Amino acid sequence: MGEHALRVIAMAAIATLLWRAVRPPVASGVDVVRGDLQRALTRWTLSPATDMRVVLDAAPDPRTRDWLRALARAGGAFRWSSSRPIGAAAVVAEPAAEPNGVTRVRLASANGEAVSVADDAGTIDTLPRGGAREMELGAIAGAVRASGATFTATSDPRDSVLLRPVLVLGAAGWESKFTIAALEERGWRVASRVRVAPKIDVTQGLLGSIDTARYAAVIVLDSTAGPSSQEIIRYARAGGGVILGGSASRGGAFVGIAPGRVGARIAGVAGAVASAAPRTGLGGFPVSSPGADAVVLESRDGVAMIAARRLDAGRVMQVGYDETWRWRMAGGDESAAAHREWWSRLVGAVAYAPLVPRGPGVRSIDETPLASLVAALGPPTPLDAGLVAHGDNARITLMLFILVAACLIAEWASRRLRGAR
Amino acid sequence: MNVRARFPIPDSLFPMSGEFVFATAQYESGDWDSAPLVPANLIDSVARYTSLPIAPTGAIVALASDDLFRFPLVYLTGHLPVRFTDAERTNVRRFADRGGMLFVDDHNHDIDGAFHKTAVEELTRAVGPLSQLPNTHPIYSAFFKFPDGPPNTSHELNGWGDNLVHSHLLAAMRGDRVAVLYSNKDYSSEWGYHPDNKRFLSIDNTKFGVNIIVYALTR
Repeated sequence: MGEHALRVIAMAAIATLLWRAVRPPVASGVDVVRGDLQRALTRWTLSPATDMRVVLDAAPDPRTRDWLRALARAGGAFRWSSSRPIGAAAVVAEPAAEPNGVTRVRLASANGEAVSVADDAGTIDTLPRGGAREMELGAIAGAVRASGATFTATSDPRDSVLLRPVLVLGAAGWESKFTIAALEERGWRVASRVRVAPKIDVTQGLLGSIDTARYAAVIVLDSTAGPSSQEIIRYARAGGGVILGGSASRGGAFVGIAPGRVGARIAGVAGAVASAAPRTGLGGFPVSSPGADAVVLESRDGVAMIAARRLDAGRVMQVGYDETWRWRMAGGDESAAAHREWWSRLVGAVAYAPLVPRGPGVRSIDETPLASLVAALGPPTPLDAGLVAHGDNARITLMLFILVAACLIAEWASRRLRGAR
Repeated sequence: MNVRARFPIPDSLFPMSGEFVFATAQYESGDWDSAPLVPANLIDSVARYTSLPIAPTGAIVALASDDLFRFPLVYLTGHLPVRFTDAERTNVRRFADRGGMLFVDDHNHDIDGAFHKTAVEELTRAVGPLSQLPNTHPIYSAFFKFPDGPPNTSHELNGWGDNLVHSHLLAAMRGDRVAVLYSNKDYSSEWGYHPDNKRFLSIDNTKFGVNIIVYALTR
């Protein structure tokens, strides 16, 4: 009896497979593709369908996406759906405006899936839950890829930056010395004019008119640069970057371009330069009353210590700290390196650093896969039942085949166990 | 004995923002305080020739103390053999690595004297070997011009001691910066007088001291 039942089940499954093979399409004129799109793209290109539907389980690569867009623009209805949410992600790799050849990679991923960041040399980092991350890479091999289960975002620095020297102006003192030292040790070329006595300056590097053809940024550490203020302001308006340190913008010369006013001096927290928050140990002049166009970049106890603003084509940053050398000298073991990096980042944030194309070459760049997909094909349509059923064909067929095989094997085994042939 | 405890530095003596304080190193061995008039004399010269904000009195800082890192230029002298403690040696190395400058002057004027041999040994262990500083180095033109290199002292010129003129200073470098400047010309004797007596000199012999300070503050 059981053997008959197994044979009936197997016959029914075979009949179902046969019916599925010869049944008409889901709807007349509708061509639904799921999984590997290459054959369908070729077919649609040679013989355009009237209604093309694609079910994606991941963001397609740029070539496939562009092909789909071309077909969609060539006439006929086109819709796409996704069998699971495609993660919104973006990655961009660009040269940092710093002299050590660093590539800055910024990554953002929205839906919490794990993201692996890699280049041609291997994996660089992994974000188990996605999110946002910024990393600085000394060297990268080929393009940077951020891959999740439903996307692969790719970026490749297209340009390099042209960095000119930094001009440091100030009175002789530890802040001048260690600011120059930090920048030089980080790889910046530094020109400086340090006031030692009235009409006596100690100079370094090539000094000339202050313009963007000569300097990437100008650091004004105190009021000694007052006589050059108009030249510096013109430089900033023309695209240059200016950092006003400590009380440099107090009174007169730089008030008009500073992001805020110079507040009353505050003292650092004793011993904090060796702590995890070393700049709390530094004294300085807070940025009070930041202007409407100013962006506060760093605060301490609700008081702005660093703020920046745009000035026509250039940028002006006001840094309240006036004794950062204490951080370098009296901080922890990594304080010298941290001090260098901090100063270099400040300069890099305002520096006039024109981009220079790296030269011709086809680069595979897909920095925002989902956004580019939506821009190319429009928003996704809901996945309707017909598409689901059609899309599940392969799985159902496989299950029916397994069922047929299992039933026939079970029937054969049963017959052998009781000695029948 | 803990020299830091013996000579605690009140916070009021730590440099105010932008103010230069001339600091003398205190170390466990030898006679670190052999030239007590030099700081006042150099402070007077800096105030006389430059517009640098400078504290009217110097400070004394223990080499083994964390306070060392509050004074990026430190003067060290003595007559007697120098042996750094482990803490002093470690601090000197960190001090040099972070950008500080140690000016060491042999208060004797002799060849291979006890101070010279031991101080060079200790400095070599702490910061690496000392080598001759070229007489064209920027330190010789940082403020006053010394085209022939380090100025000679009266002790060298009058034949007192070993009857030898030292033609170069020694230095340990960090990059292109002087981390340790070593002199065996006995500037500590040359500059060891009350500033008021400068008026009796036809040429102020502390000018090179101004150069050392200006160099330290600008390079």
